[in-house]
Formats: sequence, structure tokens, C-alpha cells
Amino acid sequence: MTQHRSCDRLAFVVTVFALALAAMLVASGVRAQSMLNPEYTEFYGKAGGEVNLFFEEPRFAGQDNHSLSAFIEPTFYAEWADGDISATFTPFARIDTADSERTHFDIREAKLDFVADEWEVTVGLDTVFWGKTEAAHLVDIINQTDTLEDLDDEDNLGQPMIRVGRQFDFGTVQAFYLPYFRKRAFPGTGGRLRAGQPIVESAERIDVKGERFVPSFALRYDCVFGGADIGLSGFYGVSRDPGFDPIIVQSSLPGAQPQIIGLAPVYDGITQIGFDGQFTDDATLYKAEAIFRTGQTNLNGNERDYVAASGGIEHTLYQVFDNADLGLIAEYAWDSRGRDATSTFNNDVILGARLALNDEADTSFLLTSAIDHRDEVATVRLEAQTRVGDGLIAEIEGTLFVNGKDDLLASDLQDDSFVRFKLTYFW
Amino acid sequence: MTAPTGRGATDPNATGLPEGYGQGSGASARIADFIVRTRWLWVIAALAMVVVSAARIDQVVPIDPDARIFFAPENPDRQRLDQFEAMFSKDDNLVILVEPDDGDVFTPETLAYIGEFTEEAWLLPFVRRVNSLTNFQHTYAKGDEMIVRDLIVDPTSVTEADVEAARAIALDRIELRNSMIDPGSTITQVQILFTLPGKNPEAEAPLIYEEARALMAKYEAAHPEIDLRITGSVAMNNQFAVSGQGDATTLTPAMFVVILIIVGLALMSFFGVLSVLIIIIFSAIAGVGSLGWMGVQLNSVTVLGPLYVMTLAVASAVHILVSARQVMVVSDDRKEWARRALTEHIGAIVVACVTTAVGFFSLNFSISPPFRELGNMTGFGVLAAMFYTLTLLPALIVILPFRRQPQTARTSVMMGRLADSVIRKRTPLLWGGMVVVLACVTGISQLKLEDNFVEYFDESYEFRRDTDYAEERLTGLYLLEFPIDSGQDQGINDPKYLQTVSNFTDWLRDQPEIVNVRSLTDTVKRLNMNMHGDDPSYMRIPENADEASQYLFLYELSIGYGMDLTDQIDVGRQVMRISFNMRDVTTAEMRVITERAKGWLADNAPEYTAAPTGMVHVFNLISYRDTRAMLTGTAIALVLISAIIMLALRDVRIGLISLIPNLLPAAVGFGLWGYLVGNVTLAIAVVLAATLGIVVDDTVHFLSKYAKARREGQTAEDAVRYAFKTVGMALTVTTMGLVAGFGVLAQSGFAVNGDLAKLTALTITIALVADFLLLPALLIALDKRKDVMPLSSPAPVVVAAGMIVAGGILFAAFGASAQTPAEKGLAISIEADKRDLGYGDFEVEGRMLLRNKQGQESGREFRSMTLERPEDGVGDMSILVFEKPRDVRGTALLTHANVEPADDDQWLYLPAVKRVKRISSSNRTGKFVSSEFSFEDLGGQEVNDYTYEWLRDEACPTMPGAQCFVVSRAPKNAKSGYSKTISWIDQDEYRLTQAEFYNRRGDLEKILKLTDYQQYLGQYWRPGLMSMENQQTGKSTDLIWSNYKFRSGLSDGDFDSQRLSKASR
Repeated sequence: MTQHRSCDRLAFVVTVFALALAAMLVASGVRAQSMLNPEYTEFYGKAGGEVNLFFEEPRFAGQDNHSLSAFIEPTFYAEWADGDISATFTPFARIDTADSERTHFDIREAKLDFVADEWEVTVGLDTVFWGKTEAAHLVDIINQTDTLEDLDDEDNLGQPMIRVGRQFDFGTVQAFYLPYFRKRAFPGTGGRLRAGQPIVESAERIDVKGERFVPSFALRYDCVFGGADIGLSGFYGVSRDPGFDPIIVQSSLPGAQPQIIGLAPVYDGITQIGFDGQFTDDATLYKAEAIFRTGQTNLNGNERDYVAASGGIEHTLYQVFDNADLGLIAEYAWDSRGRDATSTFNNDVILGARLALNDEADTSFLLTSAIDHRDEVATVRLEAQTRVGDGLIAEIEGTLFVNGKDDLLASDLQDDSFVRFKLTYFW
Repeated sequence: MTAPTGRGATDPNATGLPEGYGQGSGASARIADFIVRTRWLWVIAALAMVVVSAARIDQVVPIDPDARIFFAPENPDRQRLDQFEAMFSKDDNLVILVEPDDGDVFTPETLAYIGEFTEEAWLLPFVRRVNSLTNFQHTYAKGDEMIVRDLIVDPTSVTEADVEAARAIALDRIELRNSMIDPGSTITQVQILFTLPGKNPEAEAPLIYEEARALMAKYEAAHPEIDLRITGSVAMNNQFAVSGQGDATTLTPAMFVVILIIVGLALMSFFGVLSVLIIIIFSAIAGVGSLGWMGVQLNSVTVLGPLYVMTLAVASAVHILVSARQVMVVSDDRKEWARRALTEHIGAIVVACVTTAVGFFSLNFSISPPFRELGNMTGFGVLAAMFYTLTLLPALIVILPFRRQPQTARTSVMMGRLADSVIRKRTPLLWGGMVVVLACVTGISQLKLEDNFVEYFDESYEFRRDTDYAEERLTGLYLLEFPIDSGQDQGINDPKYLQTVSNFTDWLRDQPEIVNVRSLTDTVKRLNMNMHGDDPSYMRIPENADEASQYLFLYELSIGYGMDLTDQIDVGRQVMRISFNMRDVTTAEMRVITERAKGWLADNAPEYTAAPTGMVHVFNLISYRDTRAMLTGTAIALVLISAIIMLALRDVRIGLISLIPNLLPAAVGFGLWGYLVGNVTLAIAVVLAATLGIVVDDTVHFLSKYAKARREGQTAEDAVRYAFKTVGMALTVTTMGLVAGFGVLAQSGFAVNGDLAKLTALTITIALVADFLLLPALLIALDKRKDVMPLSSPAPVVVAAGMIVAGGILFAAFGASAQTPAEKGLAISIEADKRDLGYGDFEVEGRMLLRNKQGQESGREFRSMTLERPEDGVGDMSILVFEKPRDVRGTALLTHANVEPADDDQWLYLPAVKRVKRISSSNRTGKFVSSEFSFEDLGGQEVNDYTYEWLRDEACPTMPGAQCFVVSRAPKNAKSGYSKTISWIDQDEYRLTQAEFYNRRGDLEKILKLTDYQQYLGQYWRPGLMSMENQQTGKSTDLIWSNYKFRSGLSDGDFDSQRLSKASR
């Protein structure tokens, strides 16, 4: 039954995509013939390898003290009609020695873009980022986060979509139709940086109609007024942030307590409205984001409306020495749910410093720390990167989890402080 | 030091010294007291100022000898001349007149002589070519062949038959008549053309001249029966150099003698004379030194600048010293002498000096650079004189052992009597004066603007005499050029063009004033005849272009060494030059001829462009242009000076009355000059402005005393008496000094200097007469107020004057023309911006090569799109997308440029996270991707983001052959990394060719050179290479632009921050 309905859905989505594509091809007057002969093509991408070393003994069974990993992310790009039509295809693959889940494949982009005067249409898999603040990405919701890649919330899984945008005098409006829901990927049992309880993806539950071909819709408005960049967004559909239901097994042995053997991700149907804004005043940027969301289950398993906000200042000191720029970041993130928040940023002060040497190798350092003063938890992260030769980037990243014992989410990671050496080649 | 007081003091009234003289208790007294108390400080300060002002005085020598100093680079006539000379060749020549005593050039001996002389003249330095009768290129037919040979093939063995043949040919050739040979064949010339390297201009002309002179001496010794004379532009430039030095060396001692006598007579005091000498020499050093600081060489006009300064400086010093002497009568305290003299005069001297300086600074409006320089030099000199007179001089009065002269000068009594009689006869004086003034002023109609550079030198100069002789006997000296542009490459071969030019040539020959016309059409016609077996019926323009071109080609192959056609046609064979000489013509007549010729061309050759040029032409128009430019300058000076007087006297009515005695002297002076002399040079244009400042001094001194008396409640009559008594003598003495000084300057044989000085002397004399006879009558008639005028203190005057001086210095320091440098700089930038208007949009690919001192390179590549936003108040929009290094591929920077002080709006698109981030654009000084280009170098640069200052014009450093404006611009935004940028913008297309960036400390940090310019859409220039070199680190960055695509259809929407991901590709 479910299977059957999925197939229907799939057929529907494919039809919609095909129709949209055809309509656009006709609209732009491009014959199939010339589509086969793009005016411009480019093949570029990146590939890299990394070594992760963990300072402390693993907390959970099956985890390792180190891991090796490699990835590749090529991009095929073609364009027609003077760039008004373009196609992008970016697959992504990673292998990891320690975590079989982290060995994964994704299609980051597989899309056609159309631009005609003030109109703009995207059909296919794409990544869209919304938001302004550096640490907490509250309003960003279109894409599912790829937590396997990094903890910084900035790697995303490609999201199938039809996006129609139009520029008006008063700003840009974009409407999104997101026909397919992508679940979050979690580290496997061999991976570090995971929750203590294994996440049993096979037990996942999507509350809306119970399946993945469930459409979400989003609307976004962007505008610039002088020094202010304002974004308003609304989202209706499946939450990208899962709640977790414990999977409880009642042993048949007499006297045995019910045992949690894992967590089942639960994806709720939600409605969210969001605001994000930045005011740029000289070398100081003032940023704020806020969301209101209904329908989301919190860590307690209750469905509660909530408000989350983050805001802060980024101030750059130019040429602190020689040509280096020092950016200072101070942000505060707050969540009305407090300890029940599904996000780690519930009452956190984020302090950071970004030092860009602006040398020929574009060497830069980024130090960030998120401190939850109530929970007395802190995460400190230092990234340094530089270019070696042409197109080769060497990167060191160290993350320190401090005093996470008492925090529900952080305690699982408290022994996972690590250092990562990474080489990425771009072509 | 305690000096006994009271001893020897007499009743002040009996001495003629008014009560309360120099004993004011206001600001003047306090300043005077302060200066006298701290006198040693001022001695040291004065010496320090001498050292500072003289620091760069070595820059002003040697004297620049070029006759073209009179033409500013922005003078359009000069620009056309430069273009003309770039197209053909810059003619520097010497003309040696050869006149045998027996009255016939065509004798074997004379021709041999000429031939020999011609050969030897080739050995002079920098010779390009020697033309003479003997090596004239004669063409004729020999069967089917065309022969080109020297008129006298072998001058050493000339037969009588050869001589007669040569005579027949030479007299027959129209191009030789009245140029190489006179119709009576009594005189000829050897013309030596030079290409001066211009490396050492002050030495080159004199070197050639000297050697030519030596060569002539040798021939004159060997052949006394043949007379030689010398003229030509090299001789003239030599004369400019020599006469400047001559003026300086002969007039300077004379000036000192005159000053010593006048000051000595007035003061009867050795130390008085010594102090004056110290003051005027220091002031002169300051004046000349200011030129050094501006990096300007002296020239034949400014060489007399120090004498101007000295003349003017004497006046102030004498005022103080005469006053001190009056105080001596009542006090034997030396400090009291200085203090009271200073108190009495500080205000008037400040006003007098400032107005004089303003008058001279207004010469910056002149289109002729020597006058601007003279104005600046004198202006600064006078300001320095003010400083020394008010500080050093009082100190010297106290320090030097002046002898007290207790008896009163009898002059005050005389002045009292003069006052009485002027007051008594004021009505007839007023009406009579008006009649005289009107009668004189009508003489202005007699003035004729004559700028004949030969006549700049009077007949005491051998150059002038020889040049006049050449004109009288052989040919006209006034050479006008008409380059006639056919409008197309190789266009001169077109028979229609040739026929038109030939017709023009014929028309010119018909003009009575024109004695010789040089036109290649004569050669073409003759070649046509030669190619047709010397058939005279073929003495006409060939029928088709090929023939013409072949003949000229053949001809060029056959003519002698050093000769070609490049001095008559341009390299592209598009423009032919027609030159003609006039004789016995005035500047005005030449202007008329020029207009007639232009009229003929407009009627008969409208399809070809031709504009007159030549040195003569530039001089012909210079007075006209200068008079017009100086009108503005004079008006501004007049307004400023009147404002200063009103401020100084704190009285608008008296200030307005003062306009009459201020303006009237120059008007009367011009009128008298019109009756007496008639001709004036371009010097006249600056006279009004220059004298205005001087003549107001008298008025100011007189009126300030008058106003003082009025404030104390005296009637207009009594106030006039008071003024006469207090300053009458000093005014007389100083005016005599000035007149004598300018009288000395008037002795200059160089008319520009002489005329200026004569007119100035005349004007100042009239001014004194007007101040003594007319002003009192005017005051009594017009100033009928009964009420007491408010008391004024000199402090606001000093402040206001100081502000005006500061403004004036700023204004002058950058050498203004008709516009202030700021206006001109802005105008240039607006023009540059305007020329780039309307490009719409463009895309371009850029490559950045970063190179360190060791030469290691690394690179960046990017694409850029720019969309013009023509509205005011916003700048253009641009997107820059990186291609390389590959890790930043797709990173896109969007800029919406704003006008200062607003920062630009910038967004950065980071493809890795698909994020658009608004970024701060306040980082102007940071290096763009670690290159030598900072963000502000590459960011939007709108006209209104900067203030400008035009500095000078000079050859473009990176664009050979082009002239550049040099403009300094200072960013309005304090966040800029630069204190200023100096840009070289070419004058033809307003392209930025080079820029020097000065960091906030004021040191030169980077030099940007923009080259490989190409024009797009037939209008918009874009550089192919921008090369930035850091002068402090040795690193450099080349920015190479390629694949410009204009109007590729970009629109506003493409430059929206939300669409940046599309641009990123």
C-alpha cells in the first residue's frame, strides 16, 4: 500500500518535473538540438582526503581512535542561450575507514537553471542557504543537513525542488515546491561524533503522510534597504530536524527492565516563519535571525510551538598587522524550549575570531567557541587553512568538547575532541 | 635696559607728530609690544625663514631660454602647434644672411663661398640639414629620365656659364624668390636646421649659437667682402637666455643704487639703509625661493622677479623706519621707537602687503606661465617682506645702534600745507581731475596689442637688428603654417586635393603682405613637367594619384643627404603643410591675413580641415587670450582687495570711495600709454592686476589714518589734514622709491619686462597724484557723515587678511590659469568621467600576476561584469567572479558603488556553502587577494569621491608623444589608505595612464601604470595592462585585461544580490 502510493507520488513528481522542463524549454525557445550543444561547458570539482585523530578513548563500543576518509565532488556544468539556461550536475561520494554510514553518496546538485529578465526558475536538486548568523542557522530549512560531513551545519544534501523567483522593485520573491523529503543521515556505530544510542534509521517515522514523497512548500522574500539586508521566509512541510523516539525493547526475560536499544528519528509536519536580517555599518555587521515553529516535537517528546532567535555582531579589524584582517564574532543563540530544544544552540554565547592573513596562499584561521553558560558546556573549534601550490588546500581543524557531562546532547560527544588534517584538491 | 625718558623730548605738537601717535592700547599695541619684547626670537625666526625659503633656491637656475615659455601647455594654440610639430618636424633653425659687397650673389667666388660655408655648417652641433642656394635640389628632364641635382654641383669649380645658368634657374623658381634669394639677387641665405635633443635646453641654443658665431667669424676674416648676419629661432632662443641674464646682471646693481639713494635720503641713517637692505634681500630670497619650492625655473620674465619684490618690500620698511624716526623726537627709548612705529603701522602694512600679494597672485589667471610665476614669486616675496618688516625690522631698530635724530623732519610741515591747499581747492580739483582723467582714459582706444616676439627685443640687441635686416632685404620673418588635412591616408596624392592646395598656394601668393609661400604642390607640378620632357604645358598637377605618388617617390629617392619630404608631408601622407612668410606686418594685420586665408579655405576647400598654426600664430593670439583670461583674474583681485580694504577700515562707504583712486590710476595709465606709445605686448593684460595691489597701498595708508581721525570725532577736512601729516611724507617717499625701482626695471631691453615695468611706474605715479589731489576732495564731498565712526581694532583685519593670504597662497601655490587648480582638476575628472559615459555594460576577463621582489609569480584569474548606472549619486555596479586559484572558483563579489561618503554596498557569494553574505566595504586599504591593488584601487571610483587639484601638464610618462594632465586627488573619505593620488591623464582621450599613490604619511607607496589601451565601440578606452608596483616593498602586480565585451546585454537584475549565484556559474 505504502509502496504503491510512493510509486504514484514518484510518477507525479517526475511528471511535474518533466512538464516544467518542457514548458521552460519551449518558453525559452531552445530546441532540443541546441540543448545537446551547449555554448559553454566546464568540468570542475574537488577531491580530498582527511585523517581524523581523536584525543580520548572512544566512549561507545565500536568507535575508533582514528579514521581515514576521502571524498570527491565533481561538477559538470553547461550553459545555453548566453547563460540564461544552465545545467549543473554535482555528485558527491565519500569513503570512510571507520564509519560505514559515513561512506555515502549524494547528488548535491542536478538542476537546470533558467533566467529570463526578472524571472528565475530552478528545477532539480539544489542547495539553498538562508540566513545571516554565523553559528546558529535557524531559518535555513530547505535542505537537509549532511551531519556526516561536519558538525557545522553547513553541508547539505541536495534537495529536489522547483523554485520560481521573481525580482520586484521591492525585493526578490521565491517560491519553492519541494516534492521529496530527505531524511537526515547519521553516523553509524563505528563513527565518532554520534549519539550514544544508535539511531535506527530503519525505524524512522515521517509524521506527514508517513512517506518521503511528501511535498513541502516555502516562500522567501529578500530585500535590501540601504545597509539592511532583510529576509522573510515561510515554510510548510516536513521538518528537517528530527525528534527522536526511543526504541524500547521489553525483554521477555522475567524481571527485566525495558531497554532502550536505539533512537528512531521522527520527522514532524511543521509550519515555520522566519526572519533574518543584517545591518552593515562600516566594518561592523549586526545580524539577527528568528523563527517561530509549530508542530515540532521537542526532546521531551512533546509537540510545542517555540521561538528561537540568534543575533550578534561581527566586527572586522582591517590590517591588524601587515595585511591581515581580524574578524571578531560575538553571537547569542536562544531557544524558548531551553533544555528541551532539539538544537544545541539553546542558550549559547558564541565567540569567534577569524584571522585572514590575506597572503598569496589565502591563509586563514578561524576560532569559534560556543558556550552554554547555564549548562556549562563549551565547544571550541579552531580551523586553519592555507593553499599549497595551485588548487591544493591544506587544512587543520581541531574541535574540543569541554565539560559536556551534564548536557544531554553534549555528553555523548564529550570524549570526541579531535583534530583533523585535510587536503583538498580543486580542479 | 633702562633708558632715561623725557630727556630731549619736545612738545609733540611742535614736532608735527600727532597726539597719541603710536600709543594705542588695542591689539596693535599688544602685538607690537610682544614683538619688541621677544625681538631675539624674531631674529632667529627670520633667519630660520630665510634658510627655509632658500632651501630649494638652486632649482630656479639655469634660466629657461625657450621662447615658448609664454605658452601654457593648456593654451589651445600651443597644443595645435605641438601637434603640428609632432606631425612634421620642430623647426629650430639658424639663418645666415650672406651679402656680398659687390651686390651680386651670382659670381663664381660668392657661390664657391656659399658652397664651402654650406659644407662646414653641416659640422655644427645637432644639425639636421643645411639648405642653401648651392645645394638647392634642381630637377629637370633628360630624355625620359628625371634628374635631381644640386643647383651648383661642385661649388669649388664654378664657371661663368654655370653661374648664369644657376641665376636663371634660381630667379625662375617661385619657391626661392624672396626666401633663398631676393629678386635683385643681392643677398641670399644659408639656412641651417637643427634637431635639438632638448636634454639640456638652456645650453643647447647657446652652444650652437656660439659655434655658428665662430664659424662666421672665420669666414668674415677670410672674406671681408662678404657680410654675414645671423637670425633664426636658435638665435632667438639664445637671445632669450642671454637677455634674461643680461637684465639680471645689469639691472640688479642699478636697482640697489636707486634704493640706497632713495632710502638714504629719506632716512638719513646708515643703519636705516642697512636694515632696509637686509629686509629686501631676505624678501627677495623668499620670492625666488618660492619658485624653487614650486620647482619652477627662472625665465626671461621672472628673472626680474626679485627686483619686483625688493621694490615692493622697500615701501613697508620705509613706513616703519620713517615712523620710528618721528618717535625718536619724543623718546630716547629705542624700544619705544620700535613699539610705537609698529603700533602705528601694523594694520596698514598688513593690509598693504596682503592686497599687493593678492594683486600679484591674481596673475595666476594669466594664460602665460611666466606671468603666473612672476605673480607667485612676487606675491610670496611681498608676504615675506610683510613678515620681516613686522618682526625683524623692529628687532633691528632696537638691536642696531641707530643714532637718535632728535630734530623733526621738515616734511610734516610741508605736508600740512599741501593738505590745506588741497582742501581749499577741492572743487576745482575734483572737476578738473575728472576732465583730465576722462581725457586720458580715451587713450585706451589707441592701444594696439602687438606680440611680435622679434620686437620683444629692442634695437639694442644685435639679434633684433640682424632680424630686421633680414626682413628688410630678403624675406618676411613671420611664418604662418597651414597644415591641410586631406582626411584620408595617402590623401595628398589625390589630384583634387593637390589642385585645391595649389589653388590655395596661388591665392596666398596673390596677397600683398605675403612674400613667399612654400608648398609641395610646386614640386609636384615641376616633377610632372620633368616627367614629360620638361614640357611647360605639363607644369600642372598630375591627372591621377598614382602619378603624383610615383613622382614624389622618385624625387625622394633622388634628393640629397639629410633631405626628405617629412618636413612637408606627414608620415601617413594625409596632411600637407603650407608655410608662408609675411613682411612688414603688424600682429593685427597677421590676424586679418589668417582670417582671410581661413575664409578662402572654408569657401574653396570645405572638405579638408586646415587650421593655422606656427609660433607666430600663437603669439598673434596670445594677448587676446590673455586679456580675456586676466579680466576674470583682475575682477577677482579687485573684489578681494576691496573687501580687504572694507574689512580693514571697517567701513563700507570709505571702502567704496577707495575704489575710485584704486582703479583710476591704471585706467589713466593705459590711456596715457595709448597716446604715448600705442603698442603693447601681452604684459599689458597683467598690469591692472599687478598694479592694483600696489596702488591700494597708498590708498590704504591714507584712508586708515583718515578713518582713525574720523573715529576720533574729527571732521572730514581735519581727518584729511591728519592723514596728510601722518602718512603724506611716507607715501611720497615710498611712491618715489617704487617709481624709481620700476623705472630701473623699465630699462630692460626685453619688451615684456620693460612694458610691464613702465606701465607699473606710470600707474603708481598717477596713483599718488590721485591719492593726494582727488581722494581728499572725494572724501570731503562724499563722506558727509556727522556721526563718529566705530573704533576698530586691527585684530580682525589681521585675522581676515591672514585668511585671505592663506587662501591666496593655496590658490597661487598650484599655479592657476583661468580656473583654479581645484576647478581644473575637477573639470578634467568630470571630462574623463563624461567620456566614459554611456558605455552601458561590459564584461572582461582579468588575470592578476603577483610578483614579489625575487620575481616569483602567482596568479589569479577572474571574470568581471560591469553595468553603468548613469544616475547621479550612485556609482556603477560590478560583479567579479574568480576562476583561479581553483579553490576560490566561483567566489563572486558584487559591488554597488556609492558616492562618498557612503561606503559601497558589497556582497560576497561563497559557492561552497551557497551563501550570499553582505560584507563590509569599509576595508579600503586592504590588499585585494594579497595583490598590490587595494580594495579601493579596484572599487567604484566616482568623481565626487575626491577633491582634485590640477598640478601641471607634461608629457605622459607611459604614452610616448602624448601630453598629460597631472592631477592630484585627495579622497574625501578618511578611511582611504591614501593621502593623495597623482594621476597622469592624457589630454587627447582623458585616459588614466599613470597614478602615484601616496600613503597616509604622505610617502609614495605605489605606482600604477596603465597601458595597452584599446578603444571599444569607437569611444570607450580600456587598458590592457594595469601594472602596480609597490615602491616600498618592490612587489608588483600586473592586472591583465582581455576579451572586453561591451553591451553584452546585462541588466539591473543581473546585479541583484539574490542572483549572484547565477553569475558565479
